Amino acid sequence: MAFDANTLRAKFPILQLEANDHPLVYLDNAATTQKPQVVLDALMAYYTTSNANVHRGAHYLSDRATAQFEHARDRVARFINAPQADHVIWTKGTTESINMVAYGLEWCLKPDDEILITSLEHHANLVPWQQLAFRTGARLRVLPLTSRGEWEPEYERYFNEHTRIFACTQISNAIGVKTPIKQMLAAAKAVNAFTLVDGAQAVAHYPIDVQALDCDFYVFSGHKMYGPTGIGVLYGKPHALEVLTPVQTGGEMVSHVTYNSTEFNVLPYRLEAGTPHIEGVIGMATACDFLAAQDRQGMIEWEQKLARYVYDELKFHTAIEIYSPESDTTVVSLGVPGIHTMDLNGYLDSQGIAVRAGSHCAHPLMAQLGVSSTLRASFACYNTLSEARRFCDVLLEAIEILGDD
Amino acid sequence: MTDLNRDAIQARLQACTSKEATFKELVSLSKQLERLSDTEKTEDNKVKGCESAVWLIEHQENGTCTFQADSDAKLMRGVLLVILSLANGHSKAELQAMDLVTELSQFNLSSYLTSSRTNGVLGILKQIQA
Repeated sequence: MAFDANTLRAKFPILQLEANDHPLVYLDNAATTQKPQVVLDALMAYYTTSNANVHRGAHYLSDRATAQFEHARDRVARFINAPQADHVIWTKGTTESINMVAYGLEWCLKPDDEILITSLEHHANLVPWQQLAFRTGARLRVLPLTSRGEWEPEYERYFNEHTRIFACTQISNAIGVKTPIKQMLAAAKAVNAFTLVDGAQAVAHYPIDVQALDCDFYVFSGHKMYGPTGIGVLYGKPHALEVLTPVQTGGEMVSHVTYNSTEFNVLPYRLEAGTPHIEGVIGMATACDFLAAQDRQGMIEWEQKLARYVYDELKFHTAIEIYSPESDTTVVSLGVPGIHTMDLNGYLDSQGIAVRAGSHCAHPLMAQLGVSSTLRASFACYNTLSEARRFCDVLLEAIEILGDD
Repeated sequence: MTDLNRDAIQARLQACTSKEATFKELVSLSKQLERLSDTEKTEDNKVKGCESAVWLIEHQENGTCTFQADSDAKLMRGVLLVILSLANGHSKAELQAMDLVTELSQFNLSSYLTSSRTNGVLGILKQIQA
């Protein structure tokens, strides 16, 4: 089926809302996406037909819930082309997934080892590694990438015999630029480092193939890909998941317990202590199916077209600086020197337009750009060209109102 | 010191019937806020937890508190003007007895209060009462 944003838009009930007496224009999709009716229905259906704890007592509802829960793992595994469903671990989101790896690999780090990240990371893919370095005496190193996602060949020296872990985002949340992930992963593998890819900003837009990426860990959140909040995934190759020390212990993740010892359960359960977020898991799988059923190529072309429209409309405006790339992105991150992004945001909000003003959890990147914050419009499949146009018009109004002294 | 007539400010903001009108009124009010000098905008005077930078200075004379405040964002300067109109001229004990959040909500600023997780207004109020 050919991609059509208006047809798709009708499947998202919240987009019919008004905000501050104007039609809602939701351009904060990099923070979280809205949810289609099928996902909302899946959540409701779970509670009305199947609610029970999973993997426990054999009764009618528990069997239903467990079957749906494990079927969801298959669906999500297929969505990212994981070879086996057991390689998909449920977490509460990207941040938890990264922390599970950062704590789980602590045993393998010693002073003089290096953890390598890039200069385009969200704090979620920076602070856990920095703290891991503090705990172990390892060094945190930062591979400099330009705001265009480029790296210099001489930077290969950042990958060396000390590099134990390489963690990198696929797409910058703050400015929407893609990183040279394949080259970097190849360099990291050449030195036998563990590799983790932060896919939080990629999954809603691009088909993901973890086998083609060939990374040890791939992490993402449900809520940024049309699924519910509070659910995410830690995908890992078996050898990588097997060596993770479980951060959380308790019920469900054990096979035998005495007062003196505990035998942990097999994967994936070993890394999933406690009662899981069952309806979140089912909702996330539904979101994966929803995305997989779309014309993915048509969808990403549309999203990029919207970002490109905004870029082209604003690029010659002398008051505006754009930090996002011109093309191959779904984000336009910008600033207006002399006007605070919170003020621009305030006016846009008063006109019903939702964007994000701030540092986007990326203080070091903001420093690299020489700003303290940016205004970010981020597009999703249900946005329209008239919304992109309205964003530009209202932004220019805001600059007029706020720039008068 | 900036002339801060609480009732006049309140009347102007209460007359706003849309978020756009409130926005424009706050921008207009922001021009009345007496700015701090660069030397007063120290790290010590900075209020933590605000997305825009906010500085707050407290003076006490004969038990009466007077605050000066500034921000790099206009909207926040408008909000600060409102806060100062509430807080200035009271003793610490009086300030501590005041329900500043409720007081502020009478200025038609509830949406600026609910977004205080990012804008830090609650932190400013706490510091004023501390």
